Amino acid sequence: MFLVLLIHAALALGVVAARSRLGRSSFAVGAFGPLSLLVWLITNGRSIADGIPHRETIGWVPSLDLVLDLRVDAYALVFLYVIAVAGICILLYAARYFGSDPKVGTFAGTMVLFGGAMVGLVAADHLLAMFLFWELTTITSYLLIGYSDQQESARSAALHAAMVTGGGGLALLAGMVMIGTESGTFTISEILANPPSGSAKMGIAWALVLIGAVTKSAQFPFHGWLPGAMAAPTPASAYLHSATMVKAGIFLVGRLAPAALMAATWWQPTVLSIGFVTMIIGGWQALRQNDLKLLLAYGTVSQLGFLFLLVGSGEAKLLYGGLALLVAHALFKATLFMVVGTIDHEAGTRDLRRLSGLRTSLPAVFWVAVLAAASMAALPLTFGFVAKEAAFDGLVKSGGGLVALASFASILTVVYTGRFLIGAFGRHHPGHEPATPLGPAPRNALVWAPIVLAAAAAVLGLVPGLVAPAIDAAVVASRATAKAGKLVLWPGLVPALGWSMVSLVIGSVLLWQNALVQRATDIVGSASRRLPSADGAFRRSVAGLLSFADRSSGLIQSGSLPRYIAIILLVAVFVPATALFRGGISGGSMPVGGLLEAILGLLIVGAAATLLFTTRRFAAVLLLGGVGYGVAGLFAVFGGPDLSLTQLLVETLVVALFALVLRYLPATFTPARFERTMRLVVAVAVAAFVFLGGLVAFSSRQAAPVSDRYVELSVPEAQGANVVNVILVDFRGFDTLGEITVLAIATLGVSGLVLPIVRSRRESP
Amino acid sequence: MNRRPSPILEHGVVSAAGPMLVFSIYLLAAGHNQPGGGFAGGLVAGVIVVLAWAAGGPDTVRRIIPVRSSVLLGLGLVVATLTGFISLVVGGGFLESGYVERTLPLIGTVKVVSPLGFDIGVYLVVVGMSLGLVRALGGEPTEEEVGS
Repeated sequence: MFLVLLIHAALALGVVAARSRLGRSSFAVGAFGPLSLLVWLITNGRSIADGIPHRETIGWVPSLDLVLDLRVDAYALVFLYVIAVAGICILLYAARYFGSDPKVGTFAGTMVLFGGAMVGLVAADHLLAMFLFWELTTITSYLLIGYSDQQESARSAALHAAMVTGGGGLALLAGMVMIGTESGTFTISEILANPPSGSAKMGIAWALVLIGAVTKSAQFPFHGWLPGAMAAPTPASAYLHSATMVKAGIFLVGRLAPAALMAATWWQPTVLSIGFVTMIIGGWQALRQNDLKLLLAYGTVSQLGFLFLLVGSGEAKLLYGGLALLVAHALFKATLFMVVGTIDHEAGTRDLRRLSGLRTSLPAVFWVAVLAAASMAALPLTFGFVAKEAAFDGLVKSGGGLVALASFASILTVVYTGRFLIGAFGRHHPGHEPATPLGPAPRNALVWAPIVLAAAAAVLGLVPGLVAPAIDAAVVASRATAKAGKLVLWPGLVPALGWSMVSLVIGSVLLWQNALVQRATDIVGSASRRLPSADGAFRRSVAGLLSFADRSSGLIQSGSLPRYIAIILLVAVFVPATALFRGGISGGSMPVGGLLEAILGLLIVGAAATLLFTTRRFAAVLLLGGVGYGVAGLFAVFGGPDLSLTQLLVETLVVALFALVLRYLPATFTPARFERTMRLVVAVAVAAFVFLGGLVAFSSRQAAPVSDRYVELSVPEAQGANVVNVILVDFRGFDTLGEITVLAIATLGVSGLVLPIVRSRRESP
Repeated sequence: MNRRPSPILEHGVVSAAGPMLVFSIYLLAAGHNQPGGGFAGGLVAGVIVVLAWAAGGPDTVRRIIPVRSSVLLGLGLVVATLTGFISLVVGGGFLESGYVERTLPLIGTVKVVSPLGFDIGVYLVVVGMSLGLVRALGGEPTEEEVGS
């Protein structure tokens, strides 16, 4: 399995590196990534389905206890098959979809990288490793949506998707960390075997995890990013935004639901409500779209809602139908996206008001679309029907009228599926309008890649026994229950069949009376325009965030150096001073000194006091230097010749550099009275804190000072008699390395800031 | 500076610069056992730079230390980091110290410790910093800036 991940990574890098030579064949080369996954699945799948999970452990950062634990059980197997099969078909399709744009190689590499991340997400057995792959899919998705980076709409759609799913990712990370620390392990299989019990804290943790899944799988109220993501080239939409990535959230809730149920009683009702609302909103919006791709996108939102509630509810009988539907959805939706891509590619538009007569000009594409659409609408004899029967059966058994809601959403599905087919392929104004002009019908992957997927779905529809054992095993693996459902061609006269038939019949009638539906959607549409929409909420929150950032940075970044320094000093005083007062000041003893110290102290205090009353800048700098020299003298008296020497030199250098800068400043100070008072307050606060803090710190030592040990070890360990130097270059060498790096960067920064100003002034006096 | 710097001052600084540089290098070399070290040594060299600049401007600085500040900064960081890595290669931890003891003719027994290399890096960075700051801040202000 690790090898499969490596192959993906290597292919992604290789394809990007060789992009100018490969051109659009990059996709065909990249298809070896999912192909390697498929080979792995075929060789290892049988024993996994038999109930023996495949495990691999690779040490990653052993010192942090981070290992790359991979564990593929039968539940993950279903997802991996979808990733592999959809990946191969869509990558080969993409190799014919794109023209000779030089950027396609990078696009192909990103797709392959995404495929690898998806495999890692599904196979990871460590929460944090899973999160890493999760974020990787977010980032690759961002890059793929924003492929047409010349278009503002594509860029903002990519940003929208990244912000929503990335924000959800942060919530997910927080939830994962809480769950991991509470259970004492980050290994998913161990958490599931021994889930943390319920508490207020765990309730928050599971809510955060749910937010992550909801954003990723485009559930209400975060579904707005998915239709926007249709700005991506169609292969990416087919792969990421219908077949795989949006199912990551579903994978996650399905994986963790058993543990979540143990801790949070609200989990199931919440998941069910979110799923149903999403399902109905998505289906309703799909009725109103004229862009074929957007129609499919909203259809995907609807289907994701259904999958989310089936897989995430934690009920084994719902999970069964959910997984079957997940496979069915990947097959028919990827097919339909590719069909739309082919139409777009050939006709130059995907607006169903402008397309006409494609049935005769693209017959093969038409029949593929019919096959896939039949599966989407769940007509009998298709795999979509088989899966939906299983799902409805589970809902009927759960009771509570759930099946009626699902059945209502299915009516919408039937109607928008009909709109899709009629809109794309029908002849709208016979006699008046010529068919959309086309070149010769394509005979390459643009046609046969969807055919392969549609054919796979058709075969599964007729012989559901081919996939049933895998679904059985997946449910057993994730819920430890016996067989929870069945996939059959003809369910017999059960309630679920009745519900299916009801939605099919009502859907067909509504499709027949299409004008009625359009009027209804128009009325509701114009009424709901005033209601808050997910898109509008997102746009408003981004605008609000930006204006908040503007205002707060205007407040904080005033550009006034004295104000910056005052803020830094006050914070530096306030935080430890609070701690000091909370801990209670236990009286310190004044250190006593001799005559020499007294003289030096008077010198320092005298220089500082004089400083207060000078108005000339240069005098102030010299007096500051005097304070520094006095401190250097104190160091020398207390037996620190090194410190003393360094202090003397630093003071000298600082005074000299100050003198250089002073040439640019007025010779005297003229600050306003108010400002002088404020400075006085800050100065007194800092001085008082340093004085008191020094006293308290001096008298409250409990542990032996670390310096004793340094002195002891200096000669034997570091061959140096000067302990100060030994500390600098040996014991704390890393610190010094950091400090000189800062020194170098600061110097470059000063040069970079000052030199251009000086130069520009010289050029334009 | 509007007026010519005093030639006597300039000559004096240039003559003193050599011995002072030797002193700064002595501080660097002796630092491991006596007061001094790369930081103090580098600062002494920095003071030379400031003096040279005050006495004769950028040209005098270039006569004494004919290297650009960025070169010294980069070289210093490289030397310091490499020293750390050498101990890693030899078999210790990063920046772990070791020493070589040799008896040289005429001089006697000399013990060279590996932190000396690290200290040389510190020294170079500090000198580079002084050069860079003096060059950046020491530009000629225009007439109105002086008066304003």
